[in-house]
Amino acid sequence: MPTLLQKLFGKRAVGNGSARDCSTAAEQCWASAEFDLAQIRLIVYQDCEKRGRQVLFDSTAIHKLDTSEPTADETKTPPNRSGACHISSQADDKDKPPSYQYTRPASDVNMIGEMMFGSVSMSYKGSTLKIHHIRSPPQLMVSKVFSTRFGSSTSGSTNTLQDSFESMSQTFPSHTSSIGVCRVRSAPLLCLARSASFFAAHSNPVDMPSRGHSEDGDSGIARSASLSSLLATPLPSPGSSFSSGLSSSYQRRWLRSQATSLQHGPMPRWNTEEMFSLSDESCSSNPAMIQRKKIAISIIISLPEREEENHNFQEFFFSHFPLFESHMNKLKTAIERAMIVCRRIAESSQRVQVYLCRVMEALGEFRMTVWNLYMAPRISEPVWLSMISQSTERNLLCQRFLKEMSLLMEHGAKSQFLAALLTAVLTHHLAWVSTVMPSSLPPIKSACQKPASQTVDLLAKSHPYNPLWAQLGDLYGALGSPVRVCRTVVVGRRRELVQRVLYVLSYFIRCSDLQEHVQPQGQMDNPASPCTSQTTDPTPEKTCTPKPDPLKPTACVIGTSEKALNSDLGNATPGTSVEQNHEILLTDTNSTSPSPSLESTAVRPEFTEMGQECFGEDSDSVGGGLEHILANQSPLLHRVQFHIGSPSETANDGQAEGLTGAGCERGLDRKLHQRLLSDIWRKESSDSALGDSDDEETSPRELYGATEQKEYELPLPSCQVESRASVNHFGHSLLGGYCPQYMPDFALHGISSDLRLKQCLMADLEHTVLHPALDEPVAEALCIVADTDRLSVQVVTSQRRVCEGGRLGRDVMVSNLVHTLITSVLQLFALNIASDFCVMHLEDRLQEVYFKSRSLAEYLRGQTRVHVKELGLALGIESSDIPLLAAVASTHSPYVAQILL
Amino acid sequence: MNALVALCHFCELHGPRTLFCTEAVHPPSPSPPQPGSAIPGDRDREADREGEGLTMRANSSATQRADMCEGCRSLPASHPGFVSVDSETGIRYLSHQHPRQPQLFSVVRQACVRSLSCEVCPGREGPIFFGDEQHGFVFSHTFFIKDSLARGFQRWYSIVVVAMDRIYLINSWPFLLRHLRQTIQSLQDTALKVFDNEQCVCPQRAVRMNSAFSPAVFPHQRSGNAARSLTSLTQHSNLWASLHSSFSWLLKACGSRLTEKLLEGAPTEDTLVLIERQTEQEEEMSGWDCAEGGGSNPQPSQSESVQPKDFQFDDGRQEDLLGPKFKSLRHLRQVLGANDFRQLAWHVLMGNQVIWRGADPGLIQSAFNVLKALLPVGCVRAVSYSPHYEEAYRCNFLGLSPDVPIPAHVSSSEFSMLVDVLNVERGCVNPVSDDDILSLYQFNISSANTQPTDKGPTLLNKIEVALSNENLSVEVVSLCLLCLKEEWMNKVKVLFKFSKVDGRGKEDTQKVLALLGATGPGEEDNVRLLKFWMTGLSKLYKSHLMTAVRGGERTLTQ
Repeated sequence: MPTLLQKLFGKRAVGNGSARDCSTAAEQCWASAEFDLAQIRLIVYQDCEKRGRQVLFDSTAIHKLDTSEPTADETKTPPNRSGACHISSQADDKDKPPSYQYTRPASDVNMIGEMMFGSVSMSYKGSTLKIHHIRSPPQLMVSKVFSTRFGSSTSGSTNTLQDSFESMSQTFPSHTSSIGVCRVRSAPLLCLARSASFFAAHSNPVDMPSRGHSEDGDSGIARSASLSSLLATPLPSPGSSFSSGLSSSYQRRWLRSQATSLQHGPMPRWNTEEMFSLSDESCSSNPAMIQRKKIAISIIISLPEREEENHNFQEFFFSHFPLFESHMNKLKTAIERAMIVCRRIAESSQRVQVYLCRVMEALGEFRMTVWNLYMAPRISEPVWLSMISQSTERNLLCQRFLKEMSLLMEHGAKSQFLAALLTAVLTHHLAWVSTVMPSSLPPIKSACQKPASQTVDLLAKSHPYNPLWAQLGDLYGALGSPVRVCRTVVVGRRRELVQRVLYVLSYFIRCSDLQEHVQPQGQMDNPASPCTSQTTDPTPEKTCTPKPDPLKPTACVIGTSEKALNSDLGNATPGTSVEQNHEILLTDTNSTSPSPSLESTAVRPEFTEMGQECFGEDSDSVGGGLEHILANQSPLLHRVQFHIGSPSETANDGQAEGLTGAGCERGLDRKLHQRLLSDIWRKESSDSALGDSDDEETSPRELYGATEQKEYELPLPSCQVESRASVNHFGHSLLGGYCPQYMPDFALHGISSDLRLKQCLMADLEHTVLHPALDEPVAEALCIVADTDRLSVQVVTSQRRVCEGGRLGRDVMVSNLVHTLITSVLQLFALNIASDFCVMHLEDRLQEVYFKSRSLAEYLRGQTRVHVKELGLALGIESSDIPLLAAVASTHSPYVAQILL
Repeated sequence: MNALVALCHFCELHGPRTLFCTEAVHPPSPSPPQPGSAIPGDRDREADREGEGLTMRANSSATQRADMCEGCRSLPASHPGFVSVDSETGIRYLSHQHPRQPQLFSVVRQACVRSLSCEVCPGREGPIFFGDEQHGFVFSHTFFIKDSLARGFQRWYSIVVVAMDRIYLINSWPFLLRHLRQTIQSLQDTALKVFDNEQCVCPQRAVRMNSAFSPAVFPHQRSGNAARSLTSLTQHSNLWASLHSSFSWLLKACGSRLTEKLLEGAPTEDTLVLIERQTEQEEEMSGWDCAEGGGSNPQPSQSESVQPKDFQFDDGRQEDLLGPKFKSLRHLRQVLGANDFRQLAWHVLMGNQVIWRGADPGLIQSAFNVLKALLPVGCVRAVSYSPHYEEAYRCNFLGLSPDVPIPAHVSSSEFSMLVDVLNVERGCVNPVSDDDILSLYQFNISSANTQPTDKGPTLLNKIEVALSNENLSVEVVSLCLLCLKEEWMNKVKVLFKFSKVDGRGKEDTQKVLALLGATGPGEEDNVRLLKFWMTGLSKLYKSHLMTAVRGGERTLTQ
């Protein structure tokens, strides 16, 4: 680890004598070791009810047939470290697609299939994500399992691809042994158990109906659904303006911690219904057409043999997982397309060729992207992050930064290149806004130093969210409303110039800095080990700390039964009814019952009776809350429909409806409540979905004895931590250097030619909107393309497909505010004012932009039309400033976007 | 971390079971973005917590019933569970056999079943991640524990970490793996010792060989304690308390593994000055308290006390005084008329002493409150109502009672202006509304100033445009004013740095003025404004620049 650290960040600021060298200083490579394209393997598997499991693709089983160069296998030629990773074979002979030969899949496919689908298949309709670690040989495997979706026209011929594979085996007589499809039989059960229902659980899919389908709109799920819809809606209501000082950075983090909180239970989110399409057409209207068929895609990455390299790659992989996943989604889409397209081809060997070709091409893309992501050069000292982390070298950094900016200003003086570029960057990479919003707290150190946000710090401690995620959003500028994500690409043949632009922009494209807190190596008393002090002698005398003897019950209340009973009905939560129903539904699988459904129906009348009793007896306390309860109950009954081993879900639905009355028990007096509970317990079989027959009863009194106690309080173990700058964070990894090739992930990078950019950009932007790595809905994806050769700055958006004259995007209008800002900062610098002060002035001027956006937002409040002339006269806002100010305003006043749209 | 940790066991008799579960219960949100915009359902969630008691007790108790074998149980039915409180954050870590929150029960149950009987891990021991949006996401690590009485001499367990935040959980893989391995290793080592001891006493292999075909081989038909508890397998009587501590620590450490440093903008000069004044006042007060033993009332006469809040809108005292008041700059302008207002505002911005003389202190104070908004906080020195004249160095806003004479050197000075508020003689036939100031008062403005007030400063010209545009609400105007003031304050900073700190010559200063946009028409007024405003910079800022200079110059000359 230290060696990598040294390699990557050991480079200190170079002497200030040669500032010109700074930007051109060697950029750092991320990886500590070579990464071979062949390290990435793709497997596509199908799990069909009727036909079992079949391998649809295994990259190790595919060989390219090339007459001219028989050994040319692109995966065997690792690109050199500094050069681009090109799939040359495809680029060269575009007209003549390569032909492939599909041979026997590797011996491990059966095991891999097991891992992908599990020994028991799930009937959950959304997509499932899995990650496995294979020890020998060391590999990481990421799988996504999708349910399939058919169009009506092709539903009858879903097996053509396998048929083709099978027929293909005859076209290659030399490989007849087992070319093509490898059928895998169901795995042997892992364990045996006595219970019959246990076996049932293995032979039947675990039934997990998708939530979205079974709930009605105004149900109790609205509680969580409204939260997620709040997050999914790009435009919050106009009333929710946060102009009162809390930045959108804070707001985003707070919402994230709420959205991912366990305390709300699982919530349906915006992308749950991801399926695998086997047809062009949208989902068939005939539900009978939908078969139980799953398609899984796995990427297997061979890990480096050397321990340190292995460790480094894993750290990189797991911290950058959202990016890997996004590319996997792209790959999945390509495989979908390949399957659909090849199905249209009648001749089977040709069909297979088309399929293999397309999938291989997509895999090539994936490999190259991953390779680039890991290997591409990065800006070794991003200005903003360096400035906030190293206060000792601040002056030097400021000086270098201003010098570079001055040079750049000179270079593009005529075309206002820098002003245009900064206008675009400040408009779209919005994370700078919260770094200039004035703090209301007195500075701790000195006036010029920006304080670290204490509200965010407090939030992070009490309501943890993922700082990596927050950082990713910062870099992509996803702070406005509606949420837009942006990247910046600098194109140019002059390496030095491009690097200078990148260096300067790394001050304006901002994000939070991450620190990692780790346990020092070799720490003796590790809190993770429950038996540390015991390992020498397992006798009870030498017990491990903390001892329970001094335990005393504490006033920790998580709703004692007393409290719960007394709480009024108005507060009654739908959650109350969940558990009983949940338990009851589980009894369906009770093995002792000859007919599960019979038993359940037997339960039902008792419950309805209970409900009536309850309402009748205590009608006063029920009062107005009744409607509330009933309104809130029904959906939750659906929600608990995970019953393992239950063969029929429809029956349970019906039962659940009938049980609604049970939810009222909160209004009951204790006696009634006990009866209710004991009834429930009599009828359900503990938590066993897999069934067990020894049902016994426990007296409710005994249970209450337990409920009225409070938890024993134990001290929270503490442990020494060392803080260090985090290596694998986006602030370092997504600010790219002068890269050999266009990269779809980087928040900022430079390239020499826009050839590939032009090919891929639109598709990449569209993909970003569909599968944002940010893990939240995105309204628009943008890319700022700055061309240092032509001195042009354009913004390309996912929303505008066609641009005049075959251009990529729209030219940027230079904001007068930005222009004067840069000019005055650089003039001050030219007047030989301390660079530290110039940077402070720059920040002050950015703060002015923020204040202006506040007045724009206030002006727009209640306005339906914008009078540009009035803005100019009264507020000093020129028309060229409006896009910038509106974007800034949308971070604190979301309604602004609605008005200006 | 927004997650829970659970220990699961594949019971030979009962299949997968959740043994022990540690949850983190977070305190109510520190401060939702805005009170009005609290996430819908926030209340319901509170209600959830309120109502947890019954159902969860029902749950956990139900599953602690006697039908469970030793192997499926962690805490006895009568055990209330464990809690640890993180006093710094208020997060409570709770451990029970099953999670307390009903919606989590099924999530954990699901994770347990999938971890032990659905998902396939090569070698059966090791980490897997799995999950979906509906059931949450799980990091699972399966492992064996030695048991001399079990089939194959071992039992199968897993530790699952369940979270809704897929990405966070995956990001945490290396951390979780590292620490769960330690936990597992420690359990395994302990159990191995117990196993070895037991095998010495009574080698099970031999026993089993001898009774190869007797029905007793089947575990479930063996004597009652066939399924042994983990406590018995490790001979660790406080196992669950220890596991609680380990799991709580893991949740805490994983949640705080990465911290971010997110910067805010530096406080504005106004904020800094207010803070400084407040500190001074506190020191002064405590000084008085010491000197006079707190006996007499240290009333700081009528002079303005600084409120730490937003200075523009705050005025506690105004409410105390009845009578007509100026509500805003626009209101003042309407009452005085554009010309008089222009003069008045010009004098205020130039730092001249503005004296209001009249019988209504409330009206005068309201005028000052409105006018003060034109200046940075640091430039405001007000004596809102005094029985005698105060010198200009003490105050630039001075209120006087009608009979107080103005000294000759003041009335003849071009650096002061006087507003006389005269009561209008009229019969009290119509009770007039408070709003109608003009029907009550007449305002006479006088100054010895001979300079034109209609050219500059630029700031005033812009404010007048905003004030005269009735389309703009008072809020917009005040934000517009804030922008203008901040803009000019930034120019002040540059000029201060340039002339006072660096001590540059005239020629250079002129260049700076040009680049700041202070030259051109009204240049003289702009410069006067800048120089006056310089006196309003905070001490902190000035001293920072003075000290930073030395550091800065050093690097420059390096």
